Amino acid sequence: MSEWVIETKGLSKRYRGRYAVSNLNLKIAKGDIYGFLGPNGAGKTTTIRMLLGLIKPTNGSVHVFGRPLHKERLKVLRKVGSLVEYPSYYGHLSAIDNLEAIRRILDAPAARIGEVLDIVGLAKEARRPVKGYSLGMKQRLGIASALLGNPELLVLDEPTNGLDPSGIQEIRELIKQMPKQHGITVLISSHLLNEVELTAGTVGIIRHGELVFQDTIERLQRQAKSQISLVVSEPEQAAAMMREQGLNVRLSEPGILLEDASDPAIAGVVKRLVERSHGVYRVEEKRKSLEQLYLQIVGEGGRP
Amino acid sequence: MTGFLRLLAAERLKLSKSFIWLLVPISPLVSLAIGLLVSLDNVDGTWKYGSYAILASSMASFHAMLFLPILTGIFTAFVCRYEHGGGGWKMLLALPVSRTALFFAKFTVVASLILVTQLLFLAAVVYSAHYQGIDGAIPWRMLLTGVGGGFLACLPLAALQLLVSVGWSSFAAPLAINVALTVPNMLVINSATYGPFYPWAQPMLAMLWYSDQDFGGFSLPLENIFMTVAGSFALFLAAGLIYFNRKEI
Repeated sequence: MSEWVIETKGLSKRYRGRYAVSNLNLKIAKGDIYGFLGPNGAGKTTTIRMLLGLIKPTNGSVHVFGRPLHKERLKVLRKVGSLVEYPSYYGHLSAIDNLEAIRRILDAPAARIGEVLDIVGLAKEARRPVKGYSLGMKQRLGIASALLGNPELLVLDEPTNGLDPSGIQEIRELIKQMPKQHGITVLISSHLLNEVELTAGTVGIIRHGELVFQDTIERLQRQAKSQISLVVSEPEQAAAMMREQGLNVRLSEPGILLEDASDPAIAGVVKRLVERSHGVYRVEEKRKSLEQLYLQIVGEGGRP
Repeated sequence: MTGFLRLLAAERLKLSKSFIWLLVPISPLVSLAIGLLVSLDNVDGTWKYGSYAILASSMASFHAMLFLPILTGIFTAFVCRYEHGGGGWKMLLALPVSRTALFFAKFTVVASLILVTQLLFLAAVVYSAHYQGIDGAIPWRMLLTGVGGGFLACLPLAALQLLVSVGWSSFAAPLAINVALTVPNMLVINSATYGPFYPWAQPMLAMLWYSDQDFGGFSLPLENIFMTVAGSFALFLAAGLIYFNRKEI
């Protein structure tokens, strides 16, 4: 039994000579929320379809719960709940009947329908035909369907697509409680960084079908490190002084940029500048936002 | 097998509250109207097939030539309709189900709807006979052979339509194909060369009870119909299963 809930090796999918997904090595740990990040068309949905056995990989392998997916698809899928792209529903049926149709296939206990409706907060609306639901309610119904079989792994493809901010918030809270309260491992794909930043523990970033980053969200945040910008009256002299003290300094309009400086070092610099009668106009922290870092990763494709 | 039965139960639920049931009695009702209005005055009562065959055949003409093949297409498109809307295939096939079982579950639903239609048609024939005052025992053997044969002759069409409906996300396109292939029945049925081999004509050939008129496809024995039906069924079903199992969802 492997320690990874999902592990892919060299996973590739080729369409008419072009690789939509190429040589993907995903590793998703048990109990984690894995954010699968990338711009539209980067290969997220193609990857997820391969993880669910909806399409066959051109090359490479998928192991879920340590089992080879192509050989034990039914056994694996029994423990997986999924929501791919759009929530699917039968509009003329109520939420309860929609869930009942899936329950019959999964052979889940009848009481489970009430449970999942409670989890997603749809219990009150459950008897109305689904075609009258708002997009957020349909999305919640989709998640309820995914939870119906008591899965150990939840695969959600763009679950907040098309939702308004409060809907996004709701779904986010819902996803966050999955590992804690239900012991479920979650794979969530998104093209929005802050979406993933707020929910995921681990991030995989895909670009043009290739995985360009895979690590914890903290590691990603650390790479978006801060700089201190100083705006002073005589920048060149001030910069020379700071270099003498062994600081990593760079002149850049309108001031000086200090990298990797500790708090005492900055305090020392300011004190010395004041002592030497420099005018200190501004001392500010310039944080390269995660968003910029993400755009950089996705844009250049290189490891930052 | 249990997977298939569960899928079947789910399919039944999906159809339970849809208007597909309204389509089932349409053709039997039209046939009933024909049965009540048709004049049997000129029928020679001593003829070996009797008034029953004349009545049933006039009732079956529209039903078997047009309605039955077209309804088969509508039923088939209908059972795939919900899956085509908004990623339903993805959701369904990401569940622990085998594609073969799902294909057969959909096929079984279509077959059941056709069977119910045929039974209603049978009831319409029996009632019309009673209304027309035809005496004597009901010729069950003849009627059941016709109704059953018509049902079996629809199965290859259902298999082919299921293949087309699964592959084509449009609701109307498979129906248009089906109608386009059904309408030539009116000509094909008169041809001794093509009639026996044209799948869409088989329901009619199976349901017209008197083979007294020796023209076109009607001159052939029942065995011939079954050869065409069984052959096309095996072909279309195999094609549908292979296609569905390989389809990228």
